[in-house]
Amino acid sequence: MHGASGHESAVIFGLSPLWVATLLFVAVYAIIMSEKVNRAIIALVGAGLVILSGVATQHEAMGAVDFNTLGLLLGMMLIVNITRRSGLFQYVAIWATKKVDARPWGILLMMSIVTAVFSAFLDNVTTVLLTVPVTLLITEELKVKPYPYLFAQIFASNIGGTATLIGDPPNIMIGSATGLTFNDFAYALTPVIIVIMVATFVPLYYVWGRHLRAAADDRWRVMQFNEREAITDVRLLKQSLTIIALVIGGFMLQRQIGIEPATIAVFGAAVLLLVDNFGKEPEEQSKNVHAALSEAEWITLMFFLGLFVLVFGIQKAGLIDMMAEALLKATGGDFNLTALSILWASAVLSAFIDNIPFVATMIPLIKAMAPTFGGDAGLLPLWWALSLGACLGGNGTLIGASANLVVAGLAERAGTAFRFMEYLKVAFPLMLISIVLSHVYLYYRFL
Amino acid sequence: MTSAVIYNTAFDRLKDTDTVAEATRRMLDDRVSDLPVVDAAGRLLGMFRLDRLFAVLLPKAASMDYGMPDLAFVSDTIEQLRERMREIEDSPVHEFVVKPDHVVHPETSPLEMVLLLYKGANNIPVVDPDGGGLVGMVSARDVLAALHDGGTR
Repeated sequence: MHGASGHESAVIFGLSPLWVATLLFVAVYAIIMSEKVNRAIIALVGAGLVILSGVATQHEAMGAVDFNTLGLLLGMMLIVNITRRSGLFQYVAIWATKKVDARPWGILLMMSIVTAVFSAFLDNVTTVLLTVPVTLLITEELKVKPYPYLFAQIFASNIGGTATLIGDPPNIMIGSATGLTFNDFAYALTPVIIVIMVATFVPLYYVWGRHLRAAADDRWRVMQFNEREAITDVRLLKQSLTIIALVIGGFMLQRQIGIEPATIAVFGAAVLLLVDNFGKEPEEQSKNVHAALSEAEWITLMFFLGLFVLVFGIQKAGLIDMMAEALLKATGGDFNLTALSILWASAVLSAFIDNIPFVATMIPLIKAMAPTFGGDAGLLPLWWALSLGACLGGNGTLIGASANLVVAGLAERAGTAFRFMEYLKVAFPLMLISIVLSHVYLYYRFL
Repeated sequence: MTSAVIYNTAFDRLKDTDTVAEATRRMLDDRVSDLPVVDAAGRLLGMFRLDRLFAVLLPKAASMDYGMPDLAFVSDTIEQLRERMREIEDSPVHEFVVKPDHVVHPETSPLEMVLLLYKGANNIPVVDPDGGGLVGMVSARDVLAALHDGGTR
C-alpha cells in the first residue's frame, strides 16, 4: 500500500487508511458537486473527519494547510475591498466606455478588456462584482440587451485571470506549491492569453456584435457620464494605487527579495489599512477594519483550508500515488501526451466541477510524477497545462467558475436570465477554441 | 396591557386597484412615506412605500443588491425622472406592494411596539389575527401621543 506503512494502527477501528481517506474524499466531493451543503462547511467537516478518523494527525493536518495560498487570497481580498470604496473601478469602466464614443460593440470590447485586466490582478469574482453593475447601467441607458456584454465579461474574467499568478485561485495554488513566481506565470501564460482573448471576440462579433445598435440620443446620454464624479475618495484612491503598485512590484521582484507572495499581499493590506485609518478615532478605526475584514470571502478561504487537509489525507494514504501511476500508465509515460491529457481533462472537468478542489488534487498528483519526468524542473509544462485547462475550462458552462454564477446572479436581479443550455451552446465551443489554442501553444513552446 | 390604547384606527389606506398617481397624491396630502394596501375584503396585502417607488425610477444596476454604490457620475435631469414617473403613474399600486417589515396584532404589548419602533420600524400595520383584516396603524407619533395624553382615541 502506497505511503501507508506504519500508519494503519492509527486509523479508527483499524480500518485501511486508503479506504477511509478515499471514502471521505469522494463523499465530500460528491456533496460539493450536489451543492446541497455550503462548500466551506462540507470541506471543514471532511477535514475534521480526516483528523478524527486517524488518517492524519492534527499536527500533520495543520502542516498540510498552505498558508501561502490563504494569505495571498486574503491579502488581495482586503486590498480590493478597501480600494473599491474609492470609486476607482467605476472610473476606469466609464472612462473606457467613453473612449469608444459609447458605441455598443466598442463598449463590449472595452468592458471585456477592462474586466480581463482587472481579473489578471484581482480575483475574478471581485472583478465582475465591480464591473457588471457598470455594464448593466450602460446597457440600460443604451437600451441594448445586456446578455452579450455579460457573457463576454464572464469569458474575459476567466481568460484574464489565467494570465498571472494572482488572477485565479488555481494559479495561486500552483504557484504556492511549486515556487513559480509572478513573472514565471506572466512570461509563460500572458502571450497565449492575449491570443485567446482576440480569438474569442471574433466569433462573438459574428454571434452578437454586428447586431448591436444604439440610438444617438442614448449614446449621447452615456457620453455625458462624468467619470471624475465616480471617484468618491481621492485620498483613498492615491493610497490604494500606491499600495497596489508596490504589491505588484513586490510580486515581480519576488525572487530577488526572497519573500513569498502571501507576505507581500498581507503586508500590503495591513499598510493600506494603516494609512486609510491614520488619524481616525479608535472607534472609527475599529468600524473600518471590521468592515474590511468581514468583506473578505471567508467561505472561499475556509473551503481552501478544508480542502488542503482532505487532499493531504488521500496523499498520505497513497491514493494520489496510485492515481499518478494510473495516469502515467494510460499515457504510456509519454511526457507530451501526459501534458496534453492534463490540459484537455482539466478543461472539460473544470467546465462541470469546481476547479479549486480539482487543482488541489492535481497538484500532488503531478508532483508524484517528478521521478518519471526528470525531477521538479521537468514538470514545468505540466503546471502550465493544468493552469490553462483548469482556468479556461471554467468558461465552458454556467457552473464552471464562481464568476459565471455571480454574473448570472447579478443579471437575474436586473431582469436578464442566464440559462444553462443557452449559455452552453455558445460558451462550450468558445472554450474548446481556447483549449485548442492552448494545446498548440504548449506544444510549440514547451513540449 | 395591549396596544389598543396606542394604535390609530382612523388611518388612510389604498385599495389594490388604486393607481400610483392616486397613491402618490394622497401620500403628498397626508405627508407620509408609506400607506397600507388592502383588498376588497379589507385584508392587508402589503405596503406601498416611496422607497419602492424610487427604486423603479432608478436604473436597475443601482437598485439591485451589489449594484452601483453611487450615481454621482450620471447626469440625468429631473425631467428625465419625471418622464420615468409618468410611465408608471397609471399602474395599479398592487404591482408595487411590498411585504411589511413588521405586523402587529391588537393584543401586541406596547413594549413590543416601542421595541419595533426603536429598531427603525416606521409605520406598522395592526392586523386582526383571525381574519387578516387591517384594523389600524401605529407610528412613533401614535406612541408619543399615547405617552402624553393617555392615548385613548
